[in-house]
Amino acid sequence: MRLATSLAALSGALILSAGLAGSARAEAVCSHDLRVLAQPRDGLTLLEKYKDEFKKLAGASFDIDYLNENDRRAKSRADASTVGKYNVYYIDEANVALFASSKWVAPLLDYYPKEYDYADFDPGRQKVATYEGKVYFAPLTGGGDLLVYRKDLLDKAGMKPPTTLDEFIADVKKLHDPDHGVYGIALRGQRGSGANVWRWMPYFRGFGGQWFDGNTPAFDSDAAVKATQVYLDLFKYSPPGTKTGSWDESTGAFLSGEVAMLIESTPLAGEAIDPKVSKVVGKVGYAPPPSPLTGGGYAHGLAIGAKANKDEASKKCAGLFIAWATSKENEKRRLDADQFGELNRSSVMTSDEFNQKFGADLGKALAETAKVTAVNFWQDPEWPNLGDHWGIELEELIAGTRTDIKGSLDELRDYAKQLVANRKS
Amino acid sequence: MARNVSKTIGRGVVAIAALLVIIPLFWTLLSAFKNRVDIVTPTPMLFFTPTLDNVLYVLERESVRAGLINSIIVSGCSVLIGAIFGLPCAYAVARYPMRVADDIQFFVLSLRFLPPVAIAIPLIVIWLDVGLYDSRIALIVTYSLLTLSTTIWLAIPAFKRVPQEIEEAAFVDGYGPYAIFFLIALPAAAKSLIGAIVFSFVLVWNEFLIALMLTTSDAKTLPIVASEMTQLGRDVPWGILNASVILLSLPPLLFLGVLSSFLSSALKTRKQG
Amino acid sequence: MKIRTKLPIVFTAPTMAALAVLAFVPTIDAINIALQNRDLSNPDSLYVGFANFRALIDDPRFLNSVSVSVAWEILTVAATMLVAVPLAILLFETTPPAVRNGLCVLFIVPALLPRVSAAFVWRFAFHPLFGLAVYPLRLITGQPIDLLANPHTAMFTVAIVDVWQWGLLFAVIVVKLLETLPRQPFEAAKLDHARTWEIYAYIAIPMLQAPLISLVFVKMVESLRAFDLIYVMTRGGPGIATETLDMYAFSQGFIESGRISYASSMAVLMMAATTIAFTVLWRWARRWRET
Repeated sequence: MRLATSLAALSGALILSAGLAGSARAEAVCSHDLRVLAQPRDGLTLLEKYKDEFKKLAGASFDIDYLNENDRRAKSRADASTVGKYNVYYIDEANVALFASSKWVAPLLDYYPKEYDYADFDPGRQKVATYEGKVYFAPLTGGGDLLVYRKDLLDKAGMKPPTTLDEFIADVKKLHDPDHGVYGIALRGQRGSGANVWRWMPYFRGFGGQWFDGNTPAFDSDAAVKATQVYLDLFKYSPPGTKTGSWDESTGAFLSGEVAMLIESTPLAGEAIDPKVSKVVGKVGYAPPPSPLTGGGYAHGLAIGAKANKDEASKKCAGLFIAWATSKENEKRRLDADQFGELNRSSVMTSDEFNQKFGADLGKALAETAKVTAVNFWQDPEWPNLGDHWGIELEELIAGTRTDIKGSLDELRDYAKQLVANRKS
Repeated sequence: MARNVSKTIGRGVVAIAALLVIIPLFWTLLSAFKNRVDIVTPTPMLFFTPTLDNVLYVLERESVRAGLINSIIVSGCSVLIGAIFGLPCAYAVARYPMRVADDIQFFVLSLRFLPPVAIAIPLIVIWLDVGLYDSRIALIVTYSLLTLSTTIWLAIPAFKRVPQEIEEAAFVDGYGPYAIFFLIALPAAAKSLIGAIVFSFVLVWNEFLIALMLTTSDAKTLPIVASEMTQLGRDVPWGILNASVILLSLPPLLFLGVLSSFLSSALKTRKQG
Repeated sequence: MKIRTKLPIVFTAPTMAALAVLAFVPTIDAINIALQNRDLSNPDSLYVGFANFRALIDDPRFLNSVSVSVAWEILTVAATMLVAVPLAILLFETTPPAVRNGLCVLFIVPALLPRVSAAFVWRFAFHPLFGLAVYPLRLITGQPIDLLANPHTAMFTVAIVDVWQWGLLFAVIVVKLLETLPRQPFEAAKLDHARTWEIYAYIAIPMLQAPLISLVFVKMVESLRAFDLIYVMTRGGPGIATETLDMYAFSQGFIESGRISYASSMAVLMMAATTIAFTVLWRWARRWRET
C-alpha cells in the first residue's frame, strides 16, 4: 500500500517536472539569477549539482552564499533590514516571527506553485513556518529532540535507557569515564538562541518555566535557576571543545565514539548510522528525551525576500526556486544520498525506502518524541534579541567568568523589560 | 669558549623564530591539498595523497570570484586615488616651507589613530541614506581615506631624500615648479614612492572591519568571503578553508621583495636624512 | 630654492579638503548618531541626548570591554617589543649578513599576510583535536587542550598571533636600525672588555631610543586594530573574555541587535579617548626628542 502511494507520488513528481521543464522553454519564469543566503546543508550542496535542471525549468540559475548558523542569522537580519539584496532567505523557527512581522519576507503560498504540494510537509514543520495564519517558508530540515545513546556502553554497564531526568543524570555520571575516552554527555556551550540556549530550554520548560506572562518577563524564576544549575553541573561530564562549541562539536564528539549519551536534535539519528561520518554505526539506540524534558521543536527553510523581489514576477521566480528546491524529487535525491536530516515530506518519511534505510526503531522513536516536542522559545519578533543576550550570559556562566545565576537572570529580565518597552513606544 | 656557546644558543633561538614563520604557513599550504580525512587525524600527517579538489572548489565558487573582482577593483581604485592626490600633496609638504606643514603631517598621522569602528558605524548610516550601502563606490571612497593618509605619510620622507641640488639644477635650466615635480622629483624618488604605494595597497587589500560593516553581498571583498568560509560551522571543510586562505594571502606576498627593499632603504637613509 | 609659485596650494588644498571631508563627515555624524536612538532596521529616530552614554556607564559588558581593550593594548605592545628587540640583537650578533638579509625577508612575511589569514592559520594550529601547535601538549598530557575556549588563556593565545605578525616585523626594523649605528662605540666597549649584553643595554639601545619609542607608538596605534584577529579566532569569547571595545560595538550594531546609536556612542568614546591619549603622547614624544 505504502509502496504504491510513494511510487505514485514519485512518478507524479517526475511527470510534473518533465512537463514544467517543457513549458519553461515557452516562457521563462526568471529573468535573472537568484541570490540565496543560507547556512551550509548537505541538502543544499546536493541541490547545487542540479543547477542546470533549475535553469531549464526557470530560465535562470542561482547562487548560494553560505554562512554558519549564528552569522547567517545576524547577516540575514542586517541585510533584510537595510538593503535587502537576497532573493531567498534561509530562515528558521527563531526568526520567522521577526522576518514576517517586519515584512522582510513575502507570504510563501501566494507564489508556491500548487503542483509542488506544500501540504505534504510534516505538519509540525508547517506549524513552525506559519506566523499569524500565513506560511512563510518551505522546510529544509526540522524535528524535535531525541535521546541518543550508545547501546554497547549501556549494555556493558547493565543499564536501560533512562526515562526520567534523575535517572539520566545518574547514568551520565556512571558512564563518564574520560580516562578511557568516554564522556557522559555532550552539551552546547556556544552563545546563541539556537546554540547553548536551545539545549538549555528543555530543562527550563521541563521544570515549568515560562518566558513571559503577558508583557511581563516571567523567566526570572526558580525553574530557570534550577535549569541553569543542572545544565552547568552536566557540563562537568561534557568533552573539551563543547564549552565553546555547538551542534558540530557535540555531535562530532558523539559520532567519534567519545560520548555515552546525549539529547540532540533529530538529524543526529541519521548521521549516527551513516558510516561516512560515524564511528558508532550499529551501536546506537534512540528514545524520547527523559521526562520532564520537552523536545525542542524546530524547522529551517527557505523564504522569499520581499525587498530584492520588488515585483510579482520576481517573487514568482523565487517561489518557483523554493518549490523546486523542496520538491518531492529533490527530497528523493536526498533520501538516496542518505541525508536523513534533510527530509521533510510525509510522503518521503513514510515511504518503504525510508524504513529500509533507517530502520523501524528510528521511526518508532520519532513518532514517540513527536508527542513531547514543544515550542520552547518565546514566540516573538524580539526572541533572537533576548535569546542571544541570554546566550552570552550562559556562555559566561559555562566558562566560569560569571557565577551568579540569579543575578544573571535579573540582568536578562531588565534587558527584556527594555525590549518590551521599546516595542510599545 | 663561552662566547661560542652563547652564539650557538643565539642561533638556535633565531632558527626557532624562523621555523615559527615557516611551519604554520607550510602546514596551511599542505592542508590545502589534503582530503578531510587526512586533516582530521589525532596525529598530524606529513605524507598523504594530495588532492586538487579544495583549490578547484575555491576557484570555482561564484562568491570567491566575485570577491576577487571586488577586491581588485576596490583596492586598485583607492590606491590610484591615493597616489594621484597623495603624492603631489606630500611633495609640497616636503619641499615648500609652509606654516601648516607640521599640522598637515600631524593631521594625516592622526587619521591613523581613528578607530575603524568609529568611522564604519556612521558610514553605514551615511551610505544607507545615500543609497550606496554595499556598493564598490562606497568602499572606494572610504578606503581613499586610508590610502591618501598612508601615501602622504610615507611619501614625505621619500621626497625629502631626493637631493635638493638636482631640483635646483633643473630650476637653473629653466624648469618650472610643476615640471620639476613631474620630470625630476617623481622619477628621482620613484623607488621609494612605489614602496609607499604598494604599502597602501597591502593595507587596503587586507582591510577587514570596514568591509565587513559596509557590505552585505554585492561589494563583498575577498577577506570577507574568506572569513565567511573559515567560519562555516557544519562539518568544517578544513581543506577548502586552507585553500581559500592561501588564495587570499598570495597578492600581498607578491610584493614581498618590493616592500622589504623599501623598508631597508627607508631605514638606511634615516641617519643622513 | 625660493620661487613664487601657487604649487603648494594647488597640490595640498584639494587633497586636504578631500581628507577633511572623508574624516570629519563620519566623525561628526558618529556623534550625531550617538545622540539618537537609531536602529539599523528603522531609519526613523529621535534625539535622546546623552541617554546612550548614561546607559554605557551601567553596562557591565561595556566596562568589561574597556578593561579587555586596555589589557590587550598593554599585553601586545609589551610582548611585541620584548620579542622584537632581543630577537633583533640575536640576529645582528649571531648571523652573517647574507643569512640575516634572508631571514629579514622571511620575518616580514607574517606582517604582510591579511590578518584574517594569520588568524585562521593559527586558529587551525590551536584546534584542540588536530591542531599542530597543541600536538606536543596533547602527546604529553593525553588530553585535548582548547586554549581558545579557556577564559584564562584565550587572550594570550590571540596575542601570540599578534606578536607573530608585529614582533617579527619590528625585529627586522630594529636590525636595520642597528646596522645604521656607527661602529666606533662598540669597538671601544669591546676593548674595555664589556660583555655583549652590556654593550647593547648601555650603548646601542640608548642610541636607538628615539626610533624605539616611535615603534612603541606605532604598535600602540596598531594594537587598537585587533578586531580581525579576535573576530576570526574567538568572536570575543569564551563568554566575553576577549571582547574588546570594537568587538562589542560591532556586536551591538550588527550581531545581537541593530542598536546602531548605542554602538556609535561607544565608538565616539573610543575615538575621544584615543585622540586625546595619542595627541598627548605624540606631543610629549616630540618635545622629548627635540630636547
